[in-house]
Amino acid sequence: MATEKFDLKQEIETLREDCLRPTRTFGRSSQIWVGFLLAVMAWGIFCYIRQLRYGLGVTAMRDYVSWGMYISTFVFFIGISHSGTLVSAILRITKQEWRRPITRSAELLTFVSLCFGGIQPIIDLGHPERILNLVMYGRVQSPLMWDVISIMTYFTGSTVFLFLPMIPDMALCRDRLTVVDTRYKKFKKWLYTKLAIGWKGTKTQWHLLEKTMGTMTIVIIPVAVSVHTVVSYIFAMTLRPGWNSTVFGIYFVAGALYSGSAGVILGMAAFRKIYHFEKYLTPRHFDLIGKVVLALTLVYAYLNMNEYWIPAYKMATAEGHLLSDLFYGNYSKIFWTCQFGTVLIPIVIMSFPKGRKITPLVITCIVIVIGAWVKRYLIVVPTMLHPFLPIQDVTKEWSTYFPNYVEFSVEAASLAGMLLIITMFSKLFPMMAVWEVEEGIEIDYDKEVAVELGKQRIADHAKAAAEAVKVSNGQLKQPA
Amino acid sequence: MKSILKKITLAISITGLFCNISAAQDQPKATGKSEATIGLSYNKKADSKTAVAVVKVKKDGRFVPALNAKVNFYAVHDKEQQLLKSASTDNKGRAVIELQKGLPVDENLASTIVAKIENDKLYENTEEQMHFKEANLTLSLNPADTAHLVTAKLTEMDKDGKEVPVKGAELKFYVQRLFGSMPAGENNTVTTDENGIATFAYSKNIPGDTAGLITVAVKMEDNEQFGSIESKLPAAWGTSLAIIKDPFPRALWGVYAPWPIIITLSTLFGIVWSIYVSIVIKLFKIKKEGGMPNV
Repeated sequence: MATEKFDLKQEIETLREDCLRPTRTFGRSSQIWVGFLLAVMAWGIFCYIRQLRYGLGVTAMRDYVSWGMYISTFVFFIGISHSGTLVSAILRITKQEWRRPITRSAELLTFVSLCFGGIQPIIDLGHPERILNLVMYGRVQSPLMWDVISIMTYFTGSTVFLFLPMIPDMALCRDRLTVVDTRYKKFKKWLYTKLAIGWKGTKTQWHLLEKTMGTMTIVIIPVAVSVHTVVSYIFAMTLRPGWNSTVFGIYFVAGALYSGSAGVILGMAAFRKIYHFEKYLTPRHFDLIGKVVLALTLVYAYLNMNEYWIPAYKMATAEGHLLSDLFYGNYSKIFWTCQFGTVLIPIVIMSFPKGRKITPLVITCIVIVIGAWVKRYLIVVPTMLHPFLPIQDVTKEWSTYFPNYVEFSVEAASLAGMLLIITMFSKLFPMMAVWEVEEGIEIDYDKEVAVELGKQRIADHAKAAAEAVKVSNGQLKQPA
Repeated sequence: MKSILKKITLAISITGLFCNISAAQDQPKATGKSEATIGLSYNKKADSKTAVAVVKVKKDGRFVPALNAKVNFYAVHDKEQQLLKSASTDNKGRAVIELQKGLPVDENLASTIVAKIENDKLYENTEEQMHFKEANLTLSLNPADTAHLVTAKLTEMDKDGKEVPVKGAELKFYVQRLFGSMPAGENNTVTTDENGIATFAYSKNIPGDTAGLITVAVKMEDNEQFGSIESKLPAAWGTSLAIIKDPFPRALWGVYAPWPIIITLSTLFGIVWSIYVSIVIKLFKIKKEGGMPNV
């Protein structure tokens, strides 16, 4: 048993080193990557300044399509933000052991996607300062107000939810990283000390942390569900063809979970590759989360069918025009590609164990994430181009929409911003919850020890029994 | 061919010449100042008499208000000009002065006012003059409830200081509203008779204030002799305005949200935020615990 104890310590030590290693280096490739992201952001900010200066006329949006790429991306990012809730909260509640190495990246994805999702409606405003009107003159009965309240609540909750499991890791960073010579040592020391909030790992501290995490795990799920439900209300409570749906709430939540979990897989695969986490993020993890994505895609496909099949059966006037455009009109190619390519084909692929292997699963998830964005675009834009009052006597520019370079640039900057925060985060903090993975290793170790002990006991019992038989046989052979 | 070319050249030259002339008219002169025109009018209301000068300049072929032009107003008596006041034009190009009593008059009892732009930094020198006579417009209401009649009497002073009626002047009848005057009828213009009297019957269903009061207004606008005169009188002829106690009921479409929504949202988000607060408190406890020595 002594050798095994030594192995456990060694294993934990290796884990700690593996997790902290990325925080000690900022190599050439990282610098190039960050430089590239900053360049993309700078260009996007330049385009946004142009938009501020000359108005929304510099975008492709006109009178009919006032919600274009920005609002589609807003819905998409809010959807992606469900990753943290699903993987972290739901898997925590259901006590899934395999969640341990992936919770941090899922929670981080939630945080950054909320940061950049939340600003999209502000970007969509010609006068961004008017967002303050929502605070000053907001109407509580407006879905827009509900949206602001629930997104703020979810953002705060997600930040706390990301921070809580980081506390013991911050203490680890504080104690380890600052003793060796690293870049920005002073800053890091200050940062880790502040974020560790005096963590010493006492019994009381562990008790308090577990209690708060337990509470947050329960609270964050309904908050996350409320966020995407309310986002759907912005559409469903507007009298427009295509949005007048009672299943929009659950449809949006399911779509969010489906795209969010696919996003988590992409994050997992990236960190596995870049930071060499192969030992911790095993093919088994991908297989299991692949099954989760499969289940969610099936639910999403079912709701998708309901969303289109029921109105398609009736083909009511205005709705009929919209559906005709989607099924065999201007948007038919993109619509059917989206339905088959990003929903049905992924279901088929992920249904087979081979499809849940890392490479095919990652490719499938890339397709799902892109498809999720395209789907949001298909929800927002065609409806705006099919108002109840027909569009007449307007220039072609007004009656069609395709985002122009300004919108693409601003959204590219948003994506770059997300990736930049994730990159910088991974260079400052461990991308796996070290203590949680340690806990998992200890549990596995205990199980192994228990099995070993069991085996030992059985062997001992067998030996004792054999001895007893031997003894009794000997006694029998002895002359009376 | 040559003659056609010549004609075209000539046409272009003439067009160009005209364009230059019209453009030159729009341009400030060599002095750098713009050429302005003044329109002068006299207004008399119950409480005040004013002289109004409207100054305009030509820009891009259109007359636009001249801003910040200093206008000097003079009263003329025996060919002598006496400065009354100066005023600068506002963004509508209007310069207004209040006229005091006792303006000099000529043998026809008419006063003469001259408005001048003199040595202004922005505008060329220019002037305009007007003559006007003093007139009085008095209103009286029909005391009977049967008809809402307004009688307006327009008089002027003769040389002996007696009031004499003004015949043939057009008076317009209005109801004063918050932001302007509403014509009292489709045809609200009545000409004064030989007694200087004009009568107009007001409708009986004009909305008034909470006490049913309306303000009757009668105007003589831009009269050649007397300028503009306006007179007002309150009348209890309006229908009473019923004030709705709660014009915005609590509804989804109203200004104020329904109570159930406020209570539901406040409760739900109140619970969530109070949990957040409790978590922050626990974080402080963790921090406090960290400050204690290890046992």
